[in-house]
Amino acid sequence: MDNTDIALRAEGICFAYRDKEWVLRDISLSIPRGKATMIMGPSGSGKTTLMKVLAGILDPQRGRVEVLNHEIGKRTRRSLYSLIGYIPQQLGLVRNLTSLENVLMGALGRCGHGRVMLGLFPHHEIEQAQAALDLMGISDKSSEKVFRLSGGQRQRVAIARTLLQRPRVVLADEFVSDLDLDLASEILRLMRQVAEREQMTFIANMHEPQLVREFADQVLLLDHGELVRGLPRHGLQGQPSAEVFQ
Amino acid sequence: MRTDLFVMALVAILLSIVLGQLGFFDAARLMKGLRNMGTLTLEMLPPDASVLPVAGKALWETVQMSFAGTMLGFLVSLPLSILGTRHLFSAPLSNLSRLIAAGIRTVPVLLWAILFVILVGLGPLAGTFGIAAYTVGYLAKIYADLFEGTDPEVMEAVQSTGASRFHLVRFVVFPEGANAILTQLLFMLEYNIRASSILGFVGAGGIGFVMQVYLQTLEYRRLATVLLLILLVVLMMDGVGAWLRKRFLLTAH
Repeated sequence: MDNTDIALRAEGICFAYRDKEWVLRDISLSIPRGKATMIMGPSGSGKTTLMKVLAGILDPQRGRVEVLNHEIGKRTRRSLYSLIGYIPQQLGLVRNLTSLENVLMGALGRCGHGRVMLGLFPHHEIEQAQAALDLMGISDKSSEKVFRLSGGQRQRVAIARTLLQRPRVVLADEFVSDLDLDLASEILRLMRQVAEREQMTFIANMHEPQLVREFADQVLLLDHGELVRGLPRHGLQGQPSAEVFQ
Repeated sequence: MRTDLFVMALVAILLSIVLGQLGFFDAARLMKGLRNMGTLTLEMLPPDASVLPVAGKALWETVQMSFAGTMLGFLVSLPLSILGTRHLFSAPLSNLSRLIAAGIRTVPVLLWAILFVILVGLGPLAGTFGIAAYTVGYLAKIYADLFEGTDPEVMEAVQSTGASRFHLVRFVVFPEGANAILTQLLFMLEYNIRASSILGFVGAGGIGFVMQVYLQTLEYRRLATVLLLILLVVLMMDGVGAWLRKRFLLTAH
């Protein structure tokens, strides 16, 4: 692949939370631009850690990560917002704020500390946040506090927040794992529409083979902190069909 | 199981020794105390309502001191506790902030009141400052511990949107901690109303001065009226606190 076709490149990533207890071992990967890449692997294989390293939340002890040819280790986390969006497993929404306020978090990278600290966001950002909620089909929930929303509605708020942020690459860590299959499929369809519309590259950890088959352009397998070709040693939850891995 | 029994037995023995040393097993003395309690209760009845205007005015001053002191302390404790939150600020800064809070907390509220009487003179202003100082020490510690417990996943998610440290405080740390912030503030206000009742003993204003006069002149019926008034205010505070919690706190469905 040409450099311009690569959204994210990792080379020789090694990461340990404690000295020499490697959670990720020598991981190198290339994620094509504008495609959906899904990372699969058994529990404890290092998927979440890999996602956090790729998102610039954790600094690897060895190796480097580049997003659209920008080495993320050389930039402050705040400056990465236009490159990388991150949706954690539990979505990372502020429960005591409304849907609209949570979506507006997506604009914080572009906002200063003046009126915004009083909760007064620029008018055009509020309009775009409303439009994002509208696109997600929950504009009627904009003034509802997040803790009152259903699981699916919260997922939509998290996607709307990412939509307002407008990053080039979205990393999502098993963010539909708490939903039933139909709802998860619906949410992923929405996410894909958003990614295509905004020309975002979408990378997600996923354990449900059916969703992977339906939505992934590329599948990566992780086992014991290493990228492997074919099935991991101890199998995956709900063994995916061989077709997924071809 | 045997270890549990051993520990419980050890605690019981230690408690007995300590109680013995404090005079808890001196039956004659305890009986005399009971008799005195009966006498004192009889001397307090019926409460003397004639002191209501004086006591009411002094109690109102106490409530004002408690409210103003608590709010001043709260406003100072918020930035101090944010600075003391280790995952938001560097270790030297957060340790310094926690050290300041611990230092303030070490001094009892009565001593703060005496200190401020020396600084600003007799009256409710000294009491207000005393209460504010004690509130800062207490709330800064409680809030710093609370803020450190903010869900790291929410912090990471919002940080990845380009939020600065100050954005995180405003849009994650405060809203996520809103319940506990309010609960602790109300607790502190209730506590300060009770605590400030004795600040008048050292000339720091409020109902304490009136209580001291009635105690020294053995006017127990008047003292009973004052105590009942304090009880009434504390009960009212409980009611207001319950209403505020119901009105503002996050309730999961």
